[in-house]
Order: sequence, then structure tokens, then C-alpha cells
Amino acid sequence: MEFWQNSINVLVLGSIYVLIAVGLSMIYGILRVLHIAHAGIYTLGAFLSLSIMEVTGNFWIALILSAIISGFLGALMYRYVYKFVLKEERIVPLIVSVGLFITMQDLYRIIYGPYKYPFSISIPIPYIRAGNFYISPLQMLILIITGIILIGLYFVLNKTRIGVGLKACANDSQMAAAVGVNTKLTIALAFFMGSALAAVAGTLVGVYDNSVYPTMGSTVSYKAFVVVVLGGFGSLKGSVIAGFLLAAAEVFLVAWKGFFLPRDAIGFLVMILFLIFLPNGLFGRKER
Amino acid sequence: MKKFLAFSLILALSLTLLFAGTYKIGFFAPLTGWAAADGSSALHGAELAIQYINDSGGVNGNKLKLIYYDDAMNTAQAVSIAYKLVQQDHVLIAISGSYSSTTRAAAGIYQRLGVPMISAYAVHPQITKTGNLIFRVGTLATVEGRAGAYLAVKILGAKRIAVLTIDNDFGTSLTKGFIEEAKKLGAQIVYSTKYPLGETEFRTILNTLKQSKPDVIYATAYYAEAAHIVFQAKQLGIYVPIIGQEGYDSPKFIQLSEGGSSNDTLITTDLNRDSSKSIVQWFLKTYKEKYGIAADMVSASAFDAVQVAAAGLKSGTTPNKIREGILSIKSLKTSVTDIEHYTKSREVFRPITVQIVLAGKFHFFREITDPDVLNPER
Repeated sequence: MEFWQNSINVLVLGSIYVLIAVGLSMIYGILRVLHIAHAGIYTLGAFLSLSIMEVTGNFWIALILSAIISGFLGALMYRYVYKFVLKEERIVPLIVSVGLFITMQDLYRIIYGPYKYPFSISIPIPYIRAGNFYISPLQMLILIITGIILIGLYFVLNKTRIGVGLKACANDSQMAAAVGVNTKLTIALAFFMGSALAAVAGTLVGVYDNSVYPTMGSTVSYKAFVVVVLGGFGSLKGSVIAGFLLAAAEVFLVAWKGFFLPRDAIGFLVMILFLIFLPNGLFGRKER
Repeated sequence: MKKFLAFSLILALSLTLLFAGTYKIGFFAPLTGWAAADGSSALHGAELAIQYINDSGGVNGNKLKLIYYDDAMNTAQAVSIAYKLVQQDHVLIAISGSYSSTTRAAAGIYQRLGVPMISAYAVHPQITKTGNLIFRVGTLATVEGRAGAYLAVKILGAKRIAVLTIDNDFGTSLTKGFIEEAKKLGAQIVYSTKYPLGETEFRTILNTLKQSKPDVIYATAYYAEAAHIVFQAKQLGIYVPIIGQEGYDSPKFIQLSEGGSSNDTLITTDLNRDSSKSIVQWFLKTYKEKYGIAADMVSASAFDAVQVAAAGLKSGTTPNKIREGILSIKSLKTSVTDIEHYTKSREVFRPITVQIVLAGKFHFFREITDPDVLNPER
């Protein structure tokens, strides 16, 4: 029974990792930028949802609007910041990204104050309980939303022109441009989609933990990279599988041994092992 | 050069004139970064105490002035702030509104430079052992742990206890005091585990904890972790009493724990919100009006740290006089956390209040007055 209960926890935790990492991986796949500020967008998404929810009182409107606004901000971030430093050495966009992230965190603190805000919603999903086993409505919500998003994403990437464009740019953006793909628009679109996913993840975590606060992206800023490295840089399929694998490693190690290591440390340990023995991750391609 | 000298002289003179009749109190706390919420609470509490004292005539006719800096929870920064407060700002006494690591680092500097320092709510036992000028306002962690054990075994009658410990100075020193006393009182520790700061997912360890069938859970935590623990425990059908400490003592604990799951939680703390003392009610009311959020244990401790500093300054402005002033405190009327007196190791002696969450508010449950439990020298 304990095993099944823990498995549900793996699915929920994994879903959140996947939502964050897929967006990041998408952006890396196209631009080869380590987009630390992704975690800033994640926090922004949570705050936006909270604020919109306060005004409208409707969680779904809040979630969707927050994803759209965050998506646009992500695209703007590319258009007005990254675009100018992409030609520099790879360390330059990385530093810019770290700077953006820190600025964003402090901006949230100035606007919202340093405190944690509760974010509770009531959703019409029943509480599933059988003996010691249970799935809470919020866990169900996270599983359903992640499921819908992953299926939608699969469809967009594999069955539409947008998806083909994204893949082409990720493979070789110069070649893609030569055959008529609007690369600038495609990159902006990758940022839009990735950032919208981050905002959804931030909102779901805010609701699940019932707390939204300026530094909630700190752990995410580096932990998302663990997932991306495990999955192989730029591989969306890899990120999805790695997200669930990491969650499973964390949950079952804690169930087995308690917190003999913090969960984050477990993630990093796995990442280091991967970097040594399988540097391209599960599904990574060799860098050119 | 002459001009510069003359200018400096005038500047120095005018500054002296400007601050004549002012006692300067230094203050440091994390106002940015992950600990900014506690840092801001501490600063607000300290500012309110300054306002209270100045409005009632100051100390020996001198106004108090708070000079504060942000340590961002960085020990190196706390150390350089210590030098700055003493050597440039010439404060008479300093107050830490920060956590244990920064406070420990800074305490050494204040002791060496000969300026008394008061730790508002940092609990590490080592802080006051730094030297004879370092005081504490919060209750020593081992004492608070003991009080928790007294509550569990003597008051609630628990025989089997499960313990969750947050893996830092705060948690481990509380748990140490708790387990020693609980065993002494005849209870059995049936489960004990540590978890890291900032953890949000307790379902896995709570699942294991449940198998040990405890009568009571003693969980050291700050309000964010605590909110997850009480909620997830109830979700898993664990309904035994959960005992917390001052780390839970924030209205945020109640706000962040979903579905009223904070109800029935018991905590050992220093702030009795149902106290009939006028200073306590004034503090709670004014704090809420001024800062728009309810006061917590951190702000109350910082408020009292300034009150203790003022009590010290009443006896004089040299480090030794301040020290003697603080050591001679006899039931400090202006404190909101019932400071009775200081022991020779510069720890507070006070009764510990047990609060219970009922209908989303902290309320008085019991007061622990057993001197053997409360004695920091034990």
C-alpha cells in the first residue's frame, strides 16, 4: 500500500519537474542558452495567477491568463535581451540570464514583500481514498493538467507546421532559415511556449504548496537543469522521462532511508554520475 | 588640506550636536534573500519598540535611534556590518534580528570590539557562550525542547512519541532537549528522523511514521515546513496531537496550512497573545495597524531585544554598565515575552507559554512554570 501511495507522489512530483524542464529544454534546444531566468518566469506565473485569481475569483482564468502573459514576457525577454548577446561567447548569455533572474526575484520582493502568500483553491474533483491510499484533488489536478499539456505538446510538435519549424531550428537554424523557416518567429514561439509552461508549473506548485513567494524559483533555477541534463540537453522526450525518474529516485530513497541526503542533493548526485558516465543524458544528441 | 580639516571638524561638530541626546542602537537582519520575511518582521518589531520608548520619554531623557543594515543571511556581510556599526556608527549596543549562523559570526566581533550584543531570536547555544557581552532574548533551544517534552508527557500523557527534526542548529538543539527530557519523564521515542530546511514533501516520511503508532508527534520546524507537516499528516489520517515550537509562531503558519489543518496544533513559545498585559495588547494592535500584517514571535522577540537594550542603557552607556543593567533586570514590565530575569550565562529566565490553534487563531493553552524545566543553567 505504501508503495502505491509513494508512486502517486512520484507522479505528482515528476509532473511538476517535467512541466518546468520541458520549457527549458525547448529553449535550450533552439538557442543553446542556459536560461536560468526560466525560474523567474516560473515565479512570475505563480504571482500573476494569484493576483488574477484575487480579482476574478476564477482559477482557470487566472491559470490561462498567467500562462499567456508569462509567455509573452518570455518572448520579449528573447527579443529585447537575449537576441543582443547570442553572438557572444556562451558564458555571456548565461551571465545575462543569472542577472535577469536575480533582478526578477528582487522585483517580486519589492512589489509583493518578502512574505509567503497562501494560494488555496477549491476544485470540483472528489477526494479518492481507499484504506490508506488516497489521491487528493490537487494531486489529481496536477496529473490531469500535465497530461493534457504533454498530449497537446506532442501534437503541436509532431503534427503542425509550427512543430516542424521548431524542430528544424533546433537541428540547424541557418539551414532552416535557408529553406524558408522564419527563425526569429520560431525562436520567439519557443520562448512563448516554454515560458507559458513555466508559468503553469509555478501556479500549480503555488497551489499545491499553498504558498507563493519571491524566492520560490531559487531551487527550481538549478534543479530544472538536473532534469534537462539527465534527459539530454534539448531532448523533450528525455526531459519527460528524466523528470519522472528523478522524482522516483527522490521519493523512494526518502521512503527507504529517510532524508539521509536532502532531496536536492540526490538530484545532483544523479546528475554528476550522468555527466561522468553518460554526458549526453538519456536521449541527448552530440553537440556539434 | 587645511580646508579639508576645517570642513571635517565642522562636520564632526555638527554631527555631534545633531545626535546629542541620542543613544544609537545597531541592528542587523536579513532584509533581502530567502530569509527576508523574518528579517523584516524583526526590523518592524525593533522599530516599534524604539517608537514606544521614545514616545514615553526615551532612556534617561535620551532618544533612541536604530541604525540597521541588511545581512542577506550572509555571515561575511554580518561580520562587516559589525565592524561598521561599531567603528563608523559608534553604536552603544547591537541587536541581531538574524538567524544563528550570522549571529554567531557577528557575536565574536562585537565581543572583541567591546560592544554588547543581544540576539533576538537566534537559538544556537553557542551564541551566548561567545563572551560576557552577548545576551539572548529568545528562549534557549534546549529549554524550549524540555518544555515540549513536559507538555507531551506530563500534560498530554504521551507514552509513545515520534520526532521530526529540521536539520539545522535550530532543529537539532530543540530535539536534543526534547528527547533527553521525554526519556527522563518515562516516554519512549518510537520514531525519529531528520529532514532538510525548505522541504515541502513530508508524505513519504509521514507514511513511515504512521506505522510506529505514536501518541504525539514532536516536529521541529519553521512555519512553512510546519504548514506542510500538519496538512499532510491530516491528509494521511494522522490525527494525534502535533507539538511545535516558536518556529510555528506566525500567523503565516495558519494561513499556509490548508483547510484549517493547523487547528489543534500545540506550540511552546514566548508570546502569549491572550495575555492581559497592556503592553502585549498594545504591541499586537499597533503592529497590525502599522505594518498591515499580524505580529509573530520574531517581531515580538526583536521588540523585547530593544526593551532589554534600553534597560541596559538606563544604567549607563559604557559596555560594563550596560551589561550590569541587563543582568539586574527584574521582571521587565515593558517586555511582551515575559522576561523575568537574566541568568549568569546571559540567558533569559521566563515561563513558557503553550499556545493552541483554535478556529484559525493562536490561543492560550497552558503555562509551564516548573523551574527545573525552565532553568537555562541546568
